[in-house]
Amino acid sequence: MTQSDGPVIRVSDLKKYYGDVKAVDGVSFEVARGEVFGMLGPNGAGKTTTIEVLEGLREPDSGTVTVFGMDVTRHAPSIKQRIGVQLQTVSLYPRLTVTELLDLFSSFYEHHLPTKQLIDAVDLGERSRARSMNLSGGQQQRLSIALALVNDPELIFLDEPTTGLDPQARRSLWDLVKGLQAKGKTVMLTTHYMEEAAELCDRVAILDHGHILEMGTVPELIGRRFKERAVFFDTTDKLPMDQLSKLAGVTRASQEDGQTLLYSRDVPGTIGSLLGLADGLGVEPHNLGIRQATLEDVFLDLTGRALRD
Amino acid sequence: MNTLMRLTVANIRSLVRDRAALFWTFFFPVMFVLLFGVLFSGTGSSKVSVGFVDQDGTPTSAEVQKAFSSVSLLDLKVGTLDDEKAAMQHGDVSAVIVLPKGLQQTVVSAKSGQTASIAIQLYADPTKSQTTQVIQGIVVQIANGFNLQLANGSEIVKIEQLSLSSTNLSNVAYLVPSILAMALMQLGVFAAIPLVQQREKGILKRIGATPLPRWKLVASNILLRLMVAAVDGVLIIGIGIALFNVQVVGSVLAMAGLILLGAGAFLAIGFLLASFLKTEEQATGVVQVVQMPMMFLSGIFFSFDFMPGWLQSVARLLPLTYLGDALRQVMVNGTQVAPLGVDLAILTGWLVVCLAVAARTFRWE
Repeated sequence: MTQSDGPVIRVSDLKKYYGDVKAVDGVSFEVARGEVFGMLGPNGAGKTTTIEVLEGLREPDSGTVTVFGMDVTRHAPSIKQRIGVQLQTVSLYPRLTVTELLDLFSSFYEHHLPTKQLIDAVDLGERSRARSMNLSGGQQQRLSIALALVNDPELIFLDEPTTGLDPQARRSLWDLVKGLQAKGKTVMLTTHYMEEAAELCDRVAILDHGHILEMGTVPELIGRRFKERAVFFDTTDKLPMDQLSKLAGVTRASQEDGQTLLYSRDVPGTIGSLLGLADGLGVEPHNLGIRQATLEDVFLDLTGRALRD
Repeated sequence: MNTLMRLTVANIRSLVRDRAALFWTFFFPVMFVLLFGVLFSGTGSSKVSVGFVDQDGTPTSAEVQKAFSSVSLLDLKVGTLDDEKAAMQHGDVSAVIVLPKGLQQTVVSAKSGQTASIAIQLYADPTKSQTTQVIQGIVVQIANGFNLQLANGSEIVKIEQLSLSSTNLSNVAYLVPSILAMALMQLGVFAAIPLVQQREKGILKRIGATPLPRWKLVASNILLRLMVAAVDGVLIIGIGIALFNVQVVGSVLAMAGLILLGAGAFLAIGFLLASFLKTEEQATGVVQVVQMPMMFLSGIFFSFDFMPGWLQSVARLLPLTYLGDALRQVMVNGTQVAPLGVDLAILTGWLVVCLAVAARTFRWE
C-alpha cells in the first residue's frame, strides 16, 4: 500500500475553483520523505486550499493528488490515520482542558502516543489542566500542534503555524518543527513569513493567484534570480531613481517601504559612485548598508509586491 | 472507553462548564414550572366548578341551590352523588356540595320550635387548600344566611366536611406536560447554536481531518441532547409531583418513550436549522424566531379555543401542539387535541423529514 521510497506527497496539475475564483489553478509538486516543504505566498494565493485537499478536507476539481502513494479522495480514511493536521485559526472545545482534548483526539486513532509524552513534547506540562480557552496564543498553537501529533504521524501539515505569535513564541515553535524533522517526519507548512521559510524549509514553493511561480531550495531561489547583492539606504527625493539605476554595477533599482534598493554586481563600485552622486547633490544617504538578496527580494521580484500585507 | 462515549463525555463537559447553557437547558424550565405552579395553584378570579347534588328535591332545597348559583364565583354542575364524585376525581369539578334528604323536613320541624339540625356535606380536596378554603367560605356563608332567615340564627343547617382527592386538571397538572414539551422543544431547537458555533470555529473541520467517522460526531450530539431531555423530564415531572401534587397516570415507560421521541423530533428541526445558518449570531436570532411563536401558538399554554380559526389551523401544523397533547394524554389523561396515534405519527413525520433534509443539506464548514 505504501511506497516507502517514492515521494510522500505527489500533486499533479491540481485545480480547485470556487465559482469564478481560481483558488488553485494547475499546481504540481512532490515532497520527499523527511523533507520540510514550505508553501509561501500572500493571503488568497491558494496555499490553504492546496493543503486542505491533501488533508482530505476538500475534493480536487481536477488533477491527481496522492499521499503515501494513495489517492486522497479514495483513501481518505487510511491516509487520515497517518497524517497530523494543524489548521489555521481553530479553537477547539474551549471548555475542555489540554489533557482532555489530547485524550479525546487520541481516541480517534488506531495508534496514538501517551498524552503525557505529547504534553511534554510541546512543553505544556504546567498548563495540562487548563481549559483551552484560558491558554495564551502561543500555548494554543502548541496545543494545536500536540493535537496534530497524537497519532505519531509520518506526515504533518502545519497551516500558518506562527501567524499572530510574538517572536519568542515563534522561535519556540520553530524549534518544535526542527525537532520533528530530526525525527525523520515529513512536514509541509504554509507561511507568509520569509524568515520562517528560510529558517525551516528544505524546499519552498512560491504561490500567487493559484500558481506556483518558483520552487526550490532557498539558496537556489535567490541564486536563480539574484547574482547581485543589495545596497540599501533610506529613500530621499534628492536622489532621483533614474540616476541611481545608472550607477556603476547596478542592475535594478527599486523603492519599497521608505527604503531604496540597488541590486549590484559590483558593490564597491556602486557605493563609490553613489557617494559621488550624493556628494555632488549635497545629500548624505542615511542608514546605508549592504546585504545578500533574500527570499523577500525574490518574492518582490516575482510578483511586484511585498509579501507581508 | 470507545470514541462515541469519549466524544459524548466531551460534549457533556462542555455543557456542564458553560453556565449560560446550563441555565437555559435546566434552570429555565425548572423556573417555569415553579413560577407557573405558584401562579396557577390559586383559584384566581376564574370560576370554580363545583358539583351540586340535591338529594332532598324539595322547594327548600331548590331555594338553597338558587342561593349557590347566585354566587358568581361558582359554576354549579348539578348531578347525582356518584356522578359528581367521579367528576371531582377526574378533575372536572373542584368540590361537591350535597344537600341531604330531609332538609325541608328538618327546617319545618325547626320552625315549629323543635330542636333539629341537618348537615350539608362538602366534599373537598384538602391538598388544594386555596380552592377548598374559598368553597368552604361560600358554603358557610350561605348556610349561615339560611339559619338566620329561617330560624333566627339557631344552627339548623350545619356543614359536614368530607375529603376526597381530585385531579385538578385546570391548572398545574395541565401545565407540567406543557412545560416539559416546551423544554424538549427548546433543547432540540437550541441544539442548532452549538453546532453552528462548532462549524464557525472550525471544530467540525478539524475533527473532519481525523479518521473519526462523521456519524459518530452526529450520534454523540444526539446522545447528549437525549440525556439532557431525560434529565429535564425527571426534573420537571419531579417538581410537579413534589411541590404541586401532580399525578402521573400513564406508565413511566410511555413517558420516557414520548420524551425521547419529542426530543428527537425537535433535534431534527435543530439540525435542519443548523444546516442553513452560517454564523452564531444568525443562529441565536433565528432560533428565537422559531421557538417563541411556536411556544405560544401551539396551544400548550393557551387553549386552542381562544384562537381565531386561521390561527388554530397554524397551531395544528406545529409539532409542539402534538408533543404537548401526547404528553398530557399520557400523564394526566386530559382533553385531547388528537388521538395519541395521530400525535405519534405527526412527531415521527417531523423527525424523519427534517432529519432527511438536514442530512442532505448540512455543511461541515
